[in-house]
Amino acid sequence: MDAVLIAEAAVNGILLGGVLALLALGLNLIFGVVDIVWIAYVDLVMVGMYAVYWLVTAYGWPLPLAAVAAVALVAVLGLLVHLLIISPILASPPVNQLLATGGLLFFLQAFATFLWTTDHRSLRLALPVVEVFGMYLSFARLLAFTFAILGMLGLYFFLTRTYIGTAIRAVSQDREAIALMGADMRRVYLVTSAIGGGMAGLAGVLLIIQYSVHPHFGATFGPITFIIVVMGGLGNMFGAVVASLVMSEVISIGGILASTEMAYVVAFVIFIVSIFVRPEGILGRRE
Amino acid sequence: MNRRHAILSLSLACLALVVLAAGAWMAAPAGAQALKGPIKIGVLYDLTGPFAAAGAYPGSIGTRIAIDMVNEKGGVLGKYNLQAIAGDSQSKADVAINEAERLLNVEKVDILLGIYSSAIAVPLAEKVDKQNRVLWITIAISDAVFKGRDLKYTFRAQVPGSQFGQISTRFIADYAGERFKMKPQDVRGAIIYEDGPYGTGVAASGEAEMKKIGMRLVLKEGYSAAAPDLASLVTKLKAARPDVLFHTGYNPDITLFLRQAKELGLRMKAIVGHGAGYGQYDKLREAFREDVDHIFNVDPVASQLLDPKKYTNAELGRIRDEFLARYKKETGVAEIPPHASMGFNNTWILLTDVLPRAIQKYGGWSADAIQKAALETDIPEGGTIQGYGVKFAGPGHEVRGQNLRASLVVMQYIGGKTHVVYPKAIATASPVLPLPPTSPYAAR
Repeated sequence: MDAVLIAEAAVNGILLGGVLALLALGLNLIFGVVDIVWIAYVDLVMVGMYAVYWLVTAYGWPLPLAAVAAVALVAVLGLLVHLLIISPILASPPVNQLLATGGLLFFLQAFATFLWTTDHRSLRLALPVVEVFGMYLSFARLLAFTFAILGMLGLYFFLTRTYIGTAIRAVSQDREAIALMGADMRRVYLVTSAIGGGMAGLAGVLLIIQYSVHPHFGATFGPITFIIVVMGGLGNMFGAVVASLVMSEVISIGGILASTEMAYVVAFVIFIVSIFVRPEGILGRRE
Repeated sequence: MNRRHAILSLSLACLALVVLAAGAWMAAPAGAQALKGPIKIGVLYDLTGPFAAAGAYPGSIGTRIAIDMVNEKGGVLGKYNLQAIAGDSQSKADVAINEAERLLNVEKVDILLGIYSSAIAVPLAEKVDKQNRVLWITIAISDAVFKGRDLKYTFRAQVPGSQFGQISTRFIADYAGERFKMKPQDVRGAIIYEDGPYGTGVAASGEAEMKKIGMRLVLKEGYSAAAPDLASLVTKLKAARPDVLFHTGYNPDITLFLRQAKELGLRMKAIVGHGAGYGQYDKLREAFREDVDHIFNVDPVASQLLDPKKYTNAELGRIRDEFLARYKKETGVAEIPPHASMGFNNTWILLTDVLPRAIQKYGGWSADAIQKAALETDIPEGGTIQGYGVKFAGPGHEVRGQNLRASLVVMQYIGGKTHVVYPKAIATASPVLPLPPTSPYAAR
């Protein structure tokens, strides 16, 4: 195999990893703070994709404006999910919480089918082809990767440089202690859910320029997102970034050295082994 | 005594007559009995999930139009109404099996009809056949549905998957000298496919045909239709440098592949798709605009592309036009996908050829009556709206239940329209081959 093609696969793997990391971060943030896994998280991403698609194609909005609107819309959705579904079951057993967010998943899929049918919808974007040193790179992926990195940096600075961000981190470290110290837990949860929703909206914006959207889009990215979150350590954001890059490189390089199917087999084997060896996640803290 | 003897004789004669009459009544075709309709048909397609937009939904509309058109004329033979009960298999084999159970054993349908995906048809066929119930497959193509299984009550007028790989390879081989200035043996072919029964079967038949012709197979690789990324497959294809790509997939994997192939600079002389996602021209054009032009698609022909003069009777042309008009009115699409014709045509064969014979000759629409009637189906070429004839393989045949007269065409999207380009005898346009420089996939 030509070294340029292997390098091309490696770079494309990194670009894919950026998008996967963005998907995993929002989910991780919510789990780390609210302690609930939003099974329907990738279906919120799907809503964001539809929002951009319709605003651009049906209403003729410019893509950047549609992107901002989609992020805001899914952030509000995140807020509503917390208020209407999560908040009443915060004290319920974990299985009930899983069932509730699982129900939301089926609701979103069915509602999208009802509203927009099962058609696959794509934005017609005429994006240029990027060739660097003989390697072809997807411009859409470069764009997505750049915005994913910006999104992650924005989240990092928000969590480390703002008062509410510090409160969010404190809750993720010790929920009981921070409550005893008089923090407004409800406000922390709401802000976290809105940010998580906003991250899902941003992921939706970055995915609609690369993929067709349809009501069952969640099935494509849902499993790999959850694998990354678990592999990186539930609630561990840096771990999620590392896990995203590991998985995307295994899929990408493995795909050209062996086969696409075998690359996924290897990726899942790595996941299973990592769960046995480090059940707290590759960068998780042992308790 | 004589009188008693006479009465006894008369009584015996009467009894004999009654017995004879009862015997004659029991031996007569049940059609002579008072058959009670309606004929209940369970119509099972993927109305939701990824397969819906890849052809299952258009197929379901085709089936519904066929049932409506028969019912509007009073039903089968003008007197037995059809009652369609829909099921949604949601693009999942386990849901399909549960839905089939519901339709067969709760709704008590007489016939289970439809099935888009081979991944569903393969496990379902055996389960339905074991219950001695009729499964009438309209779209799924995998050879594995029938091969070596000796299914008694499962029938398929649709083309088997093995023919897809054969015709696409022969098409390229036939044009290699004229258009590529190459011997067929020098053509570098690559096969990529979704790794379910549908893709695997088509890929295997393509590989076998390439071997037979001596064409060079430079890459053969499967992938999951749900894979979130196919960039590494594209890179691998670039390393293999194929002249022709033979692709079998559903959607959205086809859309993802074509998009990543363009972005990563994959170049070839021809792209040949095998049905499913490649048959949904409107959807492909929505995603790729003119980039999708000059891609080939192998499928049973979309009936609007056939010259009605080639039908065995003029009535078929009128039926075809009525179906097309209704489909367009309902969906508003510009290019009717082949799956709509498959859904209509393969349902129409059951309703207008098999069921009337089952009722008239075998007494009704029991599974046994239908299978006997189906085995007597003998429709010549040009006798259906998709042009092919129908003769089902009978007992002892390796693919019992499969239509042995089904045939395919190679179509090409040229300038926003679909044209039949192969076999040459029925072509409506000459193929644009190799890909012109305007195509982003054209070899440079």
